[in-house]
Amino acid sequence: MTKQLDLLDIQGHVLRAYGRFHYPLARYIFLNIKDESIGRDFVGAISKKVTTAVEWGNGPGQVEQPPWTVNIALTYQGLKQLGIPRSSLIGFSPEFVSGMKERKDILGDDGPSSPEHWDPIWRENRETREKDVHIFIALNAQFSKDSDLLGESYDWLLGVIKEHQKGVAVLGGHRGDDGALLDYQDAKIVMENGLPTAKEHFGYTDGISDPVFEGVPYDADRINGRGKQMEDGSWAPLATGEFLLGHIDEAKEYPPAPNPILLSRNGTYMVYRKLHENVATFESYLDEHGKKFPGGKELLAAKFVGRWRDNGAPLTTAPDADSKAEFDKKFKEAEDKNDKKAIDDLLSNFTYDNDMSGGKCPFSAHIRRINPRASLEMIEGDKPGSLKMNPNAFDTPGALSNRRRLLRRGLPYGEVKDRSKDNGNHGIIIMMVNADINRQFEFVQQQWINYGNDFRAGNDKEIILGNHSANDKFSSKAVIQVDPDSDETPYILSKIPRFVETRGGDYFFIPSMTALRMIAQGVIDPT
Amino acid sequence: MSNIAGKAYAMNVISPLRPYLTWVNKLIFWYAAKKPSNLTGLITLSLIHYARWVIIDRDKFPHLDPKQPKEDLSYNYMLFFSNFNGSWDQYVDSFTFAIPGGLDLLWKWTVRYPKSVALTPFHNYIQYNQIETIHYYNAYPLAASNDVKSAKSVKSALIKFQQDTQNASDDDFMKSYNALLRGLQHDLGDMHPTPIVSMSAYQVQKRQKWHKKNDLQLGGK
Amino acid sequence: MASNISGNAYALTILSPIKNGLQDETAYADIVRNRLQEWNAENNSPMALTPDTYLCRFFVLDDVYTETLPGANAWDTVVDWLPFVPNFLRRWAWPKEDHLKSRYLVFSSNFYCGPEGTIDAYLRAMWVAIGDRIKEIWGYCYGFEDVNDADQFIAYMKKCQLTATLFFVGSTDDPLNEQLKALYLKQEFAKFAIDNQGLDKTALRNNFQAFFDRVQPANLSAPTWAAGKYRLED
Repeated sequence: MTKQLDLLDIQGHVLRAYGRFHYPLARYIFLNIKDESIGRDFVGAISKKVTTAVEWGNGPGQVEQPPWTVNIALTYQGLKQLGIPRSSLIGFSPEFVSGMKERKDILGDDGPSSPEHWDPIWRENRETREKDVHIFIALNAQFSKDSDLLGESYDWLLGVIKEHQKGVAVLGGHRGDDGALLDYQDAKIVMENGLPTAKEHFGYTDGISDPVFEGVPYDADRINGRGKQMEDGSWAPLATGEFLLGHIDEAKEYPPAPNPILLSRNGTYMVYRKLHENVATFESYLDEHGKKFPGGKELLAAKFVGRWRDNGAPLTTAPDADSKAEFDKKFKEAEDKNDKKAIDDLLSNFTYDNDMSGGKCPFSAHIRRINPRASLEMIEGDKPGSLKMNPNAFDTPGALSNRRRLLRRGLPYGEVKDRSKDNGNHGIIIMMVNADINRQFEFVQQQWINYGNDFRAGNDKEIILGNHSANDKFSSKAVIQVDPDSDETPYILSKIPRFVETRGGDYFFIPSMTALRMIAQGVIDPT
Repeated sequence: MSNIAGKAYAMNVISPLRPYLTWVNKLIFWYAAKKPSNLTGLITLSLIHYARWVIIDRDKFPHLDPKQPKEDLSYNYMLFFSNFNGSWDQYVDSFTFAIPGGLDLLWKWTVRYPKSVALTPFHNYIQYNQIETIHYYNAYPLAASNDVKSAKSVKSALIKFQQDTQNASDDDFMKSYNALLRGLQHDLGDMHPTPIVSMSAYQVQKRQKWHKKNDLQLGGK
Repeated sequence: MASNISGNAYALTILSPIKNGLQDETAYADIVRNRLQEWNAENNSPMALTPDTYLCRFFVLDDVYTETLPGANAWDTVVDWLPFVPNFLRRWAWPKEDHLKSRYLVFSSNFYCGPEGTIDAYLRAMWVAIGDRIKEIWGYCYGFEDVNDADQFIAYMKKCQLTATLFFVGSTDDPLNEQLKALYLKQEFAKFAIDNQGLDKTALRNNFQAFFDRVQPANLSAPTWAAGKYRLED
């Protein structure tokens, strides 16, 4: 059923990736609550300025786009500290209650990603009450030549914190440049030659193909490739309940949520992770194998992710240099006309139906593992090394992936000053929004990124994000498949190093505006 | 207790069946077995090593001794045993997402089966009627069902390759080898100890290791 | 109709009633469960010694369950077709409370039975390999007092056997040593493919021959994976 969501009740960053809306700068601040009542008062003060998901513009029901945005989220410990009653607290999911650090074995945060290497703020989180992360405030700012909008937003926040300093305190311990420890985590888009890009530090265009679900008016024309694939080849938006509590989900029920309903409805869960990128390791591994890989370095780089680095062209549409050139032509045309819909179509509207054997986009490529679309409805093909779709084997083609989708928010952080070193301050802050952390984020992380059985790849991990081991006994490999009808031979990436390391994070609850006000007033009561 | 042995999970479910409907259930199973295309969804999921359903009529519980009291039941019972890969959640979810109709066809004759959609009542039903395995043995804990199947392809391909290239030229050998790899490009996944599917099972393992270590230190076995 | 056999694989389902007695203030059934639990602490399962066992499990069936959650089937609410349901009918429609009079040892095994499709050879081998362990677990069951050799064990098990209504084989129905050898070869060949990537045709050919001689694909007894192998270094 399509019903427009109550946009004024939902926090803005849930429905929008601010980076896409001209907010290239962000600052994330985390606080500890020392006094329950003052803490609630603080939440109340913040909530007056929180940015909702309301449409921006000059029309009726619309609001002028703000120069900077404010959003707030809470951990389990934070909810407890704000005085949410126990009978509400037990309704939150067990993984949210444990927090992300305790789930490290499920998430594969081992070796260099294990909590002992995390930024101090995250290392000390969940160890003593005084250092627990309770509140997360996200500030996003537009870029202005004339004023420091991010600085303005931060000053405003510091003012509110000062007014409540007897009850809340900023938690420091975010690693910045050159070993500095800061009171906040900054994030910003990567600039290239003085121009803003949508890239991250390995050089890939990021933030493409965010899922689209029912009820969001500014997504209504972006369904192809982003929603769920139907039998007749069309696309439909996903059920709202996959991403927002209090709405029907793909399993035709309301997702499990805490009581009372007003506490959870229009709220959701969010996973915050700071991921350091080992730029030097990436460059040298790509160089080493790029020399040997037939097709060259850039094609190999594309095979890691499933998209070409420069403009994000999907390999299923542009599997080789020739088709890439054709794609580039169409892409440039669309860019010149500023035809956003055409651009989106080129980037997101594809299926794996014609690539069931992985000859175009490998089975261990990033985007295929994160969102296999309908490709899991596979059985052995007629030729050795081939797989084919088994139509109608499943209730819907995307049955195994529709409930594993994630909204991705966040931005890269830091800058690469020296591409020959790993230890600079550079990576991405990723925030994943989903209605069920265990079924969505944790599942994808554990079963599809750090493991490969669903892709017939045994223990082979996803190339970019996998927690590849430095231990030779468990060294990682990935097979770059080829077209079974060709004469080519698959290329095997061996001894894959860990490109990305976890440096911290936790699980958060993003309340609706209603819930936020009620939490601030202290009136949550599930009786 | 352990429902897990390496990459396999042992699920046992027992459900009561109305005696006057049991024949329908048996007929449906017979039909499913006769036309394997009925099980295409199950085959495509590819997560199961072996699974079986056993319907026990209420008067057919094994009776071995006059001293053993005879069972006096109102219902027949359907036992379900599955050996599958992945976590409990992934398994149950994949059925309810991918083949809800098939599931319903096999279970809807049992008492108070809630249908496979929506998810939560179905999860509750399975949990309610599940019995824990005490001892579970897996001949290849490091291998998922996909691994066993792909291993079979690797073995036969290697043997055939050796035969076919006995007298080939070096160039042809290379060409055939490339074709061999191409043909096995989905069968070469590594096999390492499983991902951890459950914190509880993991903690049991850790505790058992502690007991073992301390038994030895305390002069135990 | 129903069959325990699918290709060359067999589904053996055993329900052995446990005597209703006690020893050291512990019920026999609980002793059995405890002993099974202790099997988990051993280095490898005793069942690893029973040839051709793919996967098998043991548990103690204490009782059946009474369904109280709501159902969504026509039969669960068939009484509702009547506009007015008298009390006796309303109560009759409630799920019945069933109880088992004995507790059962349940043994469910999936194994290779070959084209003959019988369980005799399997059970005989099991008795020969782990007869003492069998007595440990089955010793408290009705009718097991007379089991002293393989033949008697087979006869006993046939009395406890149930027929599968549907047996689904999602994997292969090859002999276990075939499966284990294949898994070994898969692991080794993946390593070979990496080590020999990009080599010239002569080196490749020589290396492949050496590889083939080392792993001996046709030799099922060695080198291969051991049954129940949990770790890579073993």
